[in-house]
Amino acid sequence: MVLSGGASSTSRRQVLKAAAAGAAASIIGVPRSHAATKSLTLIHESSFIKTFDAYFQNTLAPAYEKLTGVKVSYELASVGSLQTRVTTIAETGSGADLTLNFFNWPFLYDEKYLDVSDIAESVGSQQGGWYEPAKEACVVNGKWKAIPFGNVGQLMNWRMDWFNEVGFDKFPDTWDELLEAGTKLKAKGHPFGFELGHGFGDNHGWLYPLLWSYGGHEVEPDGKTIVLDSDETARAVDFARKFFQQTMLEDVLGWTDVNNNKAWLSEQISCTNNAESILWVAKRDFPDIAKVTGQAQNPQGPKGRFHTLNSWSHSIFTHTPDHEAAKAFLRWLCDKQQLGAWYAAADTYYQPFLHGYDEAPMWNVEPRNLPFRDALATAHLPGWPAPVSRAQSEVIAKYVVIDMFAKACAGAPTKEVIANAVAQLKQIYSQT
Amino acid sequence: MATITSEPVAGPRPLALRDAVARWLDREAVFSWLMMALPLLFLFALVGYPFVYGIWLSLENRPVAQAGTFVGLGNFIEDARDPVFWQVARNTFIYTGAATVLKMIGGLALALVINQSFRMKNFVRAALLLPFIVPTVLSTVAWMWMLDPAFSVVNWMLVHMGIASRGPSWLGNPALAMASIIMINTWRGLPFYGITLLAGLQTIPQDLHEAAAIDGAGSWTRFWHITLPLLKPVILIVTVFSVIFTFADFQLVYVLTHGGPANATQLFATYAFDIAMSGGQLGRGASVALAMLPILGLLIIGLTTYMRSHE
Repeated sequence: MVLSGGASSTSRRQVLKAAAAGAAASIIGVPRSHAATKSLTLIHESSFIKTFDAYFQNTLAPAYEKLTGVKVSYELASVGSLQTRVTTIAETGSGADLTLNFFNWPFLYDEKYLDVSDIAESVGSQQGGWYEPAKEACVVNGKWKAIPFGNVGQLMNWRMDWFNEVGFDKFPDTWDELLEAGTKLKAKGHPFGFELGHGFGDNHGWLYPLLWSYGGHEVEPDGKTIVLDSDETARAVDFARKFFQQTMLEDVLGWTDVNNNKAWLSEQISCTNNAESILWVAKRDFPDIAKVTGQAQNPQGPKGRFHTLNSWSHSIFTHTPDHEAAKAFLRWLCDKQQLGAWYAAADTYYQPFLHGYDEAPMWNVEPRNLPFRDALATAHLPGWPAPVSRAQSEVIAKYVVIDMFAKACAGAPTKEVIANAVAQLKQIYSQT
Repeated sequence: MATITSEPVAGPRPLALRDAVARWLDREAVFSWLMMALPLLFLFALVGYPFVYGIWLSLENRPVAQAGTFVGLGNFIEDARDPVFWQVARNTFIYTGAATVLKMIGGLALALVINQSFRMKNFVRAALLLPFIVPTVLSTVAWMWMLDPAFSVVNWMLVHMGIASRGPSWLGNPALAMASIIMINTWRGLPFYGITLLAGLQTIPQDLHEAAAIDGAGSWTRFWHITLPLLKPVILIVTVFSVIFTFADFQLVYVLTHGGPANATQLFATYAFDIAMSGGQLGRGASVALAMLPILGLLIIGLTTYMRSHE
């Protein structure tokens, strides 16, 4: 900048104005577009698999800093608190530059996230293509608002030794066979323990697949027509009640996500629905239990076999000062060299959404984890087959489907619990 | 003859100004407002603004991360149509009512006991505050273990004392889950009652008790006709505070049951949080949270009226 009296030069007043504007911008946080980005912050939720977070902090972040000079801070939110943090960041437009998402968050925070379709498409084409469910969670109005990372599958954990004692040398293929096994096991003092309370994962993990496997759905694919009141739903509810009464402890009605892990590791239950973390923790702290822990896909019902999609993905906030720097980092992170090693650090706890990892060596480390990979093809978000919507989020937040089953298990008539759930769905969907 | 020349005087004018300012500042009305200005500013920034913003949010259809549209009382009308909202209202009243009565009776008994003279009196008084001091989340996690079906010390005692063959499902049974959160809230809030009422007890002149005793009044008569009437204002204040805290309770339920089983322990605060945060409906969440306001407002008005009538 030149301070002179020339016609084309900048006047003293303009300089003062620019300086004032710069100072104001620095106070109110307006991005300094020309300043080279020196740091980025990625916010994540603490992983149950400690090596996963440690790998980012100790290997990936230093590697990126060495390569580009950009320091990446890995900010960890405690389990269950990430959504509050993301909401605050999105609402105030300040805080982390990139975030981890769960479930349908790319849809919820759509307007605050950058379009990252270019990265998603190039990563997909280079690494075998995306699994379809990844698109269900990350593509909003035709644009990728997040780069899919992995699915935290919710599958069946079963005590192989106890099942064997009642005549099951492999995990039952259907819900009816599982009921038969559970009835025998409860009689022998080894009840099942499936969460029916207000947790955030282990309840959805088996109740939505149960509903779908009997052909029940909440809403049609048009996203408007409520179809929960059906014979299929009634059959699923009736089965759930019988399944609860004949196989489980009463306590499961009040369980949140920690309870089934505790019950499993204290050998109180013989079957539950959980992520890989049960086996992971058992191998670390309870090796004798780990030896007899089996993992299997959910049983199938009359209409097939299903799983819940517990999608993890990464997005860039629109408020981040340097969009290109954030995109460059995300592109680098999703490169096969970095991504493959990060997946491997978590022992397949996060099942990759890219077909390029279907035969990756990490799957050979623990063959009992293979059902998690195979379950991806039949995984859907709660609310499926309706498209992702805000109403769907409210249905999940209010535990409409979970409580429908829980009330039936506690003894309420099938017609009544379905009618209550339908009344809630109508009220929620009528607002949108 | 000496001539007196008048020279410009530099000092008096600022001195007069300073005096005027000092005199102005000395005025009680000005000084008191000045002293209150900072706390008021603080109060407005940290309480007033969020409160007003909350009211504004409740009048909007305001999905998270999107601009809102004004809907007037639409959210409140939707709340009234929501069957769970009424269950939540019922739960909150039962929870607050039961816990408050238990805390009041227990707290009064506690205060009467620790008002007596005994060895290590001060240590016991301090120790009684522990449940109130320990962070709620921490104590709730401890209770979670104590009520856990597999590890419950409560059930272990029931079984080993021969009271039950198998311990009850404290958090799985809807009625027991509500009883459990009431019990834990009472355990946590009892010291607040106890210590506050103890302070009230110590202001009651001993002469009154002695005079009544000389007149032949027994301990129950003295309690009923001296202690209780003189303690009434303190009981009233502590009850109102307790009702406000209990009515808006969040942490205990969020950590212990998250409103389950099937909303049996869902309260206004936890339900509002779920709708606003997990559901992404900030306006609706704010309206559920604000549903508490009229009830709490009436309580405060009632208290103020009562206090003024006794001044």
